[in-house]
Amino acid sequence: MNNMEELIVGLKEQIIDALNLEEITPEDIDNEAPLFGEGLGLDSIDALELIVILDKFYGIKLANPAEGKAIFKNINTIADYIAKNRTK
Amino acid sequence: MIRVLSTNIVSPLGTDTEQNYLAVKAGKSALRPISGWQGLPESITASVFSPEQSEALKVEGYTRFESLAIRSVADALAKAGIEVRGSNTVFILSTTKADVEELSSDQNTDGDYHSPAACAARIAAHFGISTRPIVSCNACISGVAAQILADRLLSCGYYDYAVVCGADCTSAFTAAGFLSFKSLSPLPCRPFDIERLGLNLGEAAATIVFAREQQDSPTEGWRLVRGSMDNDAYHLSAPIPSGEGARKVLERALGDFDRSRLAFISAHGTATMFNDQMESVAIRDAGLSQLPLSALKGWYGHTLGASGVLESIIGMKSVEDGTVLPVRGFCEIGVSGKVNISSELRSTKARAFVKMISGFGGCNASALYSLEPCGDEAKAGGAEAEAAGFELDCSHSVRLTDSSLCIDGKEFEVEARGKELLTEIYRKHIGDYPKFYKMDLLGRLVFLASELLIKQEGETPEASGRAVVLFNHSSSIVADRSHLATIEDRDRFYPSPSVFLYTLPNIVTGEIAIRHGYKAETSLYILEDRDPGLMAQVIRSSFAKSQIRDMVCGWADCSEADCFEADLKIIHKKQ
Repeated sequence: MNNMEELIVGLKEQIIDALNLEEITPEDIDNEAPLFGEGLGLDSIDALELIVILDKFYGIKLANPAEGKAIFKNINTIADYIAKNRTK
Repeated sequence: MIRVLSTNIVSPLGTDTEQNYLAVKAGKSALRPISGWQGLPESITASVFSPEQSEALKVEGYTRFESLAIRSVADALAKAGIEVRGSNTVFILSTTKADVEELSSDQNTDGDYHSPAACAARIAAHFGISTRPIVSCNACISGVAAQILADRLLSCGYYDYAVVCGADCTSAFTAAGFLSFKSLSPLPCRPFDIERLGLNLGEAAATIVFAREQQDSPTEGWRLVRGSMDNDAYHLSAPIPSGEGARKVLERALGDFDRSRLAFISAHGTATMFNDQMESVAIRDAGLSQLPLSALKGWYGHTLGASGVLESIIGMKSVEDGTVLPVRGFCEIGVSGKVNISSELRSTKARAFVKMISGFGGCNASALYSLEPCGDEAKAGGAEAEAAGFELDCSHSVRLTDSSLCIDGKEFEVEARGKELLTEIYRKHIGDYPKFYKMDLLGRLVFLASELLIKQEGETPEASGRAVVLFNHSSSIVADRSHLATIEDRDRFYPSPSVFLYTLPNIVTGEIAIRHGYKAETSLYILEDRDPGLMAQVIRSSFAKSQIRDMVCGWADCSEADCFEADLKIIHKKQ
């Protein structure tokens, strides 16, 4: 597994845990599928929870939740953002 | 309708109503940047007591929160000049988190923490009030909800006087939660302004002593004419963009009251993007765009459980003074609904105002206050007769504990215990609502009990006019400790919005409202213990004094992770 794949698996586990997606496994989450509205059907509180994940595990502080819109489009966009901006 | 006998505000701006009003009128605000508040790693702007003020407020043998409330109640009672020792007075405490700054994530290391119900009992006992206190814990609308409850209980003749005290301290607990929601403004807040960035927190206590309206009551003086509450049934932390819930309660509180007699509308005006926008739309759609708007968060910050009481009191003082206060922090309109707002002081001759307020859990409340007699609404004893004039009927009941399930009197075999039992029941009986897993323990408990209860009705019942009214003892103690665990370590400070949300126990009433589209009232009251007589007073008076057709109501308490009980019923007026 390369770095990116590893990052994605870890990220999915963190998301499942933080968002209490009880009956979902990492394999169930398509890297390209939208996270909000359709797909996992996440909402605004989940978006704030994703901001906590960025901070807690990757040392990325996102001050403005509006920035999240583009970053949290799907798993690939989040992983991409993390790879470029992580401080831990 | 009930009479106002006296008021008090204790805030960083002063220790009585007069001092507070004069400070506000003079443009003084206690909002200031503070860093390291109770170990908080981020600095915030808030309205907090200085160490000297806190010291001066301290009452020996009581916590900071209790002392604050006691100071406020003491001054209001002294001014009311009534005898409260006896069974004729009810004490209603409006608070979101009471003593929470004394709480720790581990129950073995709690400081002087008292639960909200215990705080209320200790404060009531301090004044010799011998009846059982009630805590109104309905997020931001708690203070108006508490006054509406006072109106109901007095109008139905259960008590002669109600002491309504709203209080909250600014704690790291609450600040961390709002930080996780990204709703705190680093600068002094700017309600309704285009550049608003969010709210500021504030600490205060405010008290109103109310008296029951009687045939020989004097005609002069302030009245709470009527109030109303509704849920948006939309989202747990965001108001419905159409503002329909806020509009409906506003219209209901106003009733046929002549709009030209209103001096202003006292908005919630938290200065968050969503709240102010929603309120502007509600005001416009209620036809009140021309009415001057007042909003007080620029002076006090958001004082949470105190705000509904405090802002009503400042509203009364400004009407008495013939003044519409400017909106501090406002420069340029930043909402789409037309509102009449000003950064300058204006004068008014009108003698009434209406308060509006909304909060987490989707709740909205509104109340009308008038300094002049209101004509025909004033029939003393009307509701008393009404409260006695109907019978209540229970159609279904569900009792769910950590080790048992009973539906309509029939026991069901269960295998798992504690938290696992809830998962078992969800999988077996519901299974199609993944949001279940996002709820905290109290949320899961109430959700399951209400689902099983509503299923018993067979056909989908009419959603309109169905209220959700819950009582408990432990507030949200399990969620409170979970939230604390995410913030106690300064180097691992990661407050979670979804954990913090459930530290507002009324959230669970919002869960039911959202699931079933119940857009009527949702309320949560905290009691010292499961007192059937007191619960019956609240339930009967709620039916007598509102549009409620039927309600999902009962006891729902979760004291530890594996120790819980819900006993819910569907109750309706007997035809």
